[in-house]
Amino acid sequence: MSDDRILLDNVSRFYGEVLGVNRVTLSIPPGITSLVGPNGSGKTTLMNLMTGLVRPSRGRISVLGVDPSKPQKLFHFVGYSTQFDAFPKGLTGFQFIYSFLRLSGYSSAECKRLTTQAIEQVGLGEAADRKVAAYSKGMRQRIRLAQAIAHDPRVLVLDEPLNGLDPLVRSETIALFRRYAAEGRHVVVSSHVLHEVDMISDQVVLMSGGYVVAEGQIRGVRSEIQEERPMQFLIRCRQPGLLASKAFEHDHVVEAKILPEGEGVLVTTRDADRFCRALNHLALAGMDIEGVVPADDNVRSVYEYLIGSEEASK
Amino acid sequence: MKRLVCAQVLAIIRLEMRKTFFARRGLWVYLLAFAPELLFMGHVAFAPHQRRQLERIAREHPVSSEAMQAVQPGMTLDQVREKLGKPYHGWRGHDPDDRDEQSGWTHLKYTDGKTDLHLVFQNGNLVQIHRNEMDTPPQISRIFAGVFQSYYLRLAIFFGCVGIFVNLFRGEMLDKSLHFYLLTPVRREVLLAGKYAAGLLATVVIFTTSTALQWLTLFWWQSGRATLAGPEWGQFGSYLAVTALACVGYGSVFLAVGLLFRNPIIPTAIVLVWEGVNPFLPAVLKKISMIYYLQSLCPVAAAPDPDMPPLIHLLISPVQPATEVTAVLSIVILTAVVLVIAARLSRKMEINYSTD
Repeated sequence: MSDDRILLDNVSRFYGEVLGVNRVTLSIPPGITSLVGPNGSGKTTLMNLMTGLVRPSRGRISVLGVDPSKPQKLFHFVGYSTQFDAFPKGLTGFQFIYSFLRLSGYSSAECKRLTTQAIEQVGLGEAADRKVAAYSKGMRQRIRLAQAIAHDPRVLVLDEPLNGLDPLVRSETIALFRRYAAEGRHVVVSSHVLHEVDMISDQVVLMSGGYVVAEGQIRGVRSEIQEERPMQFLIRCRQPGLLASKAFEHDHVVEAKILPEGEGVLVTTRDADRFCRALNHLALAGMDIEGVVPADDNVRSVYEYLIGSEEASK
Repeated sequence: MKRLVCAQVLAIIRLEMRKTFFARRGLWVYLLAFAPELLFMGHVAFAPHQRRQLERIAREHPVSSEAMQAVQPGMTLDQVREKLGKPYHGWRGHDPDDRDEQSGWTHLKYTDGKTDLHLVFQNGNLVQIHRNEMDTPPQISRIFAGVFQSYYLRLAIFFGCVGIFVNLFRGEMLDKSLHFYLLTPVRREVLLAGKYAAGLLATVVIFTTSTALQWLTLFWWQSGRATLAGPEWGQFGSYLAVTALACVGYGSVFLAVGLLFRNPIIPTAIVLVWEGVNPFLPAVLKKISMIYYLQSLCPVAAAPDPDMPPLIHLLISPVQPATEVTAVLSIVILTAVVLVIAARLSRKMEINYSTD
């Protein structure tokens, strides 16, 4: 068992006859890993499996070498912010974090310090003494996040953590994830917001119908499917017609579309590496190329290709 | 390690206190617990008036206590009248047109100001004697024992434990907040122990307080301080212990019910029926219940009144009471077995709110 990875080995989980996840094998390294998939694809089940809230019907799971069925070990270094929007009744934000921290065995003074720190990190300092029941949806999301990070975990599992957050808090939260990842910790997030996943993820796990459809760094996933889904590049240049004709000299280029109003040329190729090398040659030969941008080298495109355009547009 | 477990149990108790003691939906538990107290306070308030009334009647229709004691079943109407004189109240039963006192039912009432004597004659012969002694410790003990065993143990503590212990797990599953506990470094067994301790603390405090208040209301206010120096103090301690043991036993059962069953109503009803039919069960089966051992520990048999309906008499009198040691050990062992099973099963507990 690896002590620095989250490992799932042929894990399946069924709810009666309903499939939760099936035959999932993953090895998640430190960094930000996003679980992406439509509703019911098994993201939450996968997170619940990692944290022991549900047990696998088959297979084995290890989180940094610890079996999730041992909460007394696991939750010293794992924090999980679930999607369940319910809280113990009658507690203020401070009491909520503090009370559950006491279960970790910290002294009262230490709990107070950690609680204050966690609440400050999510920007709820002023609302700490208000009842959680009076919080807005975004504040409840943040207090859950504060609870997950309060004991400074090495593994942070977050189910739709950006839901309901305003843009400022959203960017602060993303910065927090990045800081955690930069410190070599695991941040596993599920999200529907594909451009954010694109922005924050070191690696993605694409899920559909309980199966892992693809996993790894998004570029790696994209290049794996370039045979069936040729890659697109947007090239800005002063001579789009010439560039398009030069591009067609290569057999791996399947399409070259000149965009209106000088936006450039959209080239579709089955071999991104060879095309990039060809572009270099063109530039060296004097072609005035202003910029090259992969047009579908992102989570949205990969998601659309692998799972479906309907879900991606949601 | 032990220190950590103790700290965790204390932390769980602190978290649960609000829910077990102060939950709005748990107010009915207080009502159940303190209903007998209200009843006894009403009784205490009414008793002086009743006593004065009897004393006034005794002055108007004087009868000696010795003569009242001398009345025996089988005496004729004439013999009783000769001995006690004219009753302060008398009436004929069933057939108002029947003028013959020597046939049908005749009721006569006498009092010496302390005891209200109610005599029932059938066809001119004394067949039933009801002595309602006002404010004597044995009488108060019997009243208390009757209420304690027929209502308090069987209904108040039983349903109080249902309300508090079932909610410890099931309530949080319904509220969708149980996962917060499961996301902490606490063994499931420790979580179960902490929740049980929290429920036990609440039920013991609520129900023993009520038992104590009921007792003090009856004995202190009604009988006066002198009684407190008597043997009733021993009974007082016994009732408190039985109350606490009932919480220990029923608490474990309903904690397990709340943990294991999505719909706790059915298992609760089964336990209620099982405890209810206990007096009718064969001796071996009778011993597989809480109520048998709890009643065995009660210091006063609850149904000394021979005129009490046979069914109620049967319900509140264990046929062959267990010894104190056996009763206490049985409850403790039963509780331990239930908790160990629940703890083992709690390891497999999952969060699946959508199906709960």
